[in-house]
Amino acid sequence: MTRVSVDTGLCTGHGRCYSLAPEVFEPDDLGHCTVLVVEVSGELEAAASIGEQNCPEGAITLSL
Amino acid sequence: MTESDGFVDQAMTGLAEPQPMYKAMRESTPVLRTPQVVVLSRLADIEMALKRTEVFSSNMDAVDLGNIRPMIPLQVDPPEHAKYRRILDPLFTPREMARREPQVTALVNEMIDRFAGRGECDFHAEFAVPLPCTVFLQLLGLPVIDLDKFLEWKDGVIRPEGATNYDGRHEASSGVANEIYAYFDRAIDEHIASPRDDVLTAMIDSRVDKTPEHDGRPLSREELLDICFLFLIAGLDTVTDSLDCFFVYLARHPEHRRQLVAEPDILPSAIEELLRWETPVPGVARVAMQDIEVGGCPINKGERVSPLLGAANTDPAEFPDPELVDFRRNPNRHRAFGGGPHRCLGSHLARMELRVAMREFHRRIPEYEIKPGVQLAFTAALRSVEELPLVFPPS
Repeated sequence: MTRVSVDTGLCTGHGRCYSLAPEVFEPDDLGHCTVLVVEVSGELEAAASIGEQNCPEGAITLSL
Repeated sequence: MTESDGFVDQAMTGLAEPQPMYKAMRESTPVLRTPQVVVLSRLADIEMALKRTEVFSSNMDAVDLGNIRPMIPLQVDPPEHAKYRRILDPLFTPREMARREPQVTALVNEMIDRFAGRGECDFHAEFAVPLPCTVFLQLLGLPVIDLDKFLEWKDGVIRPEGATNYDGRHEASSGVANEIYAYFDRAIDEHIASPRDDVLTAMIDSRVDKTPEHDGRPLSREELLDICFLFLIAGLDTVTDSLDCFFVYLARHPEHRRQLVAEPDILPSAIEELLRWETPVPGVARVAMQDIEVGGCPINKGERVSPLLGAANTDPAEFPDPELVDFRRNPNRHRAFGGGPHRCLGSHLARMELRVAMREFHRRIPEYEIKPGVQLAFTAALRSVEELPLVFPPS
């Protein structure tokens, strides 16, 4: 399983992650990223990766 | 004068296709000192400048629009900045903007109704200008009848007559700025007297400096005015610029336009790619808070610095084939809305307006071209066109 995390100190609310991968990320009240599914594999991992790669702040990390 | 200086002069007077200039600057002088400003054109430097607000401040010294106090939150840096974003960010989330989408859809269709049967329009004057301004008035709960006054004011501060350099700006803009403060002062009184479901009421009802023990305090009158002033500057012209840039591109690239019509699902991704390629707000303004070296070039404390977002968005270090406009580009970490703490507060409002405008316009007018013989004139700094005559089959 791959672990998804977001650095809340870096996230500034571009919203790209939860727009592109709503199955893994969701917005909080500020429109900043929260991780909906922390442990991912298969299709969810692919979605998480799209979110990670599209974050302009580099705030999302996928780790084994 | 170097080649790059010449490019910068052209940029100041408006450039139809700035991308070759960005490339030339990045490759020849990625940190370019002009008499007025130090321009950064490499993505890595730009990202650093946007993130390190303690070194590259966005305070009042970065740009002067005639305002008498810092515009909030743009001209307030972290850590102070966060308390305002905590109040304002929730009012501009994608979810909150989606709530406004039906009203904007109706508005867009009313605007198209006015010219669809005519077979031609000035897209700039009849669509790109009034759309964001009307949406802004609705969002803040202000009378739509004030539209023309608002348009005059925003041009008065963004493109003041007689201001040819940074130093002439304050005097050129300050008269208009005072009118803007006075208008919003009355609007706040009216909203306090009769609250409603709009952003201004939400701001009046909000509380800052909240702690677990304390309920905080309401925003002061001055703080409210300083936020309203920024909204006017930031929320109107920028979406006009985006619409102008996008429709010029689509008019000139029918294969891209037809892709949008044939595959409507691609629209959100196409908007991101057009934001990247066109970067309607090509640069932002900062001021150095200390002596620092960037890419081997010394920058002195107090110097103005401009991270050129358009150059970041075409930097091959981040974007493979940066000259290729690919509506399916993925990933697309463009910086058209800036980045770091000052990331554009209205980015999700802009995206919603652009999405609705592009969807409805192409549903109703899928084929159009720029009126033959017309030479487009791009405006300086923010990339709109003076006029955009489009012709299409009447419907």
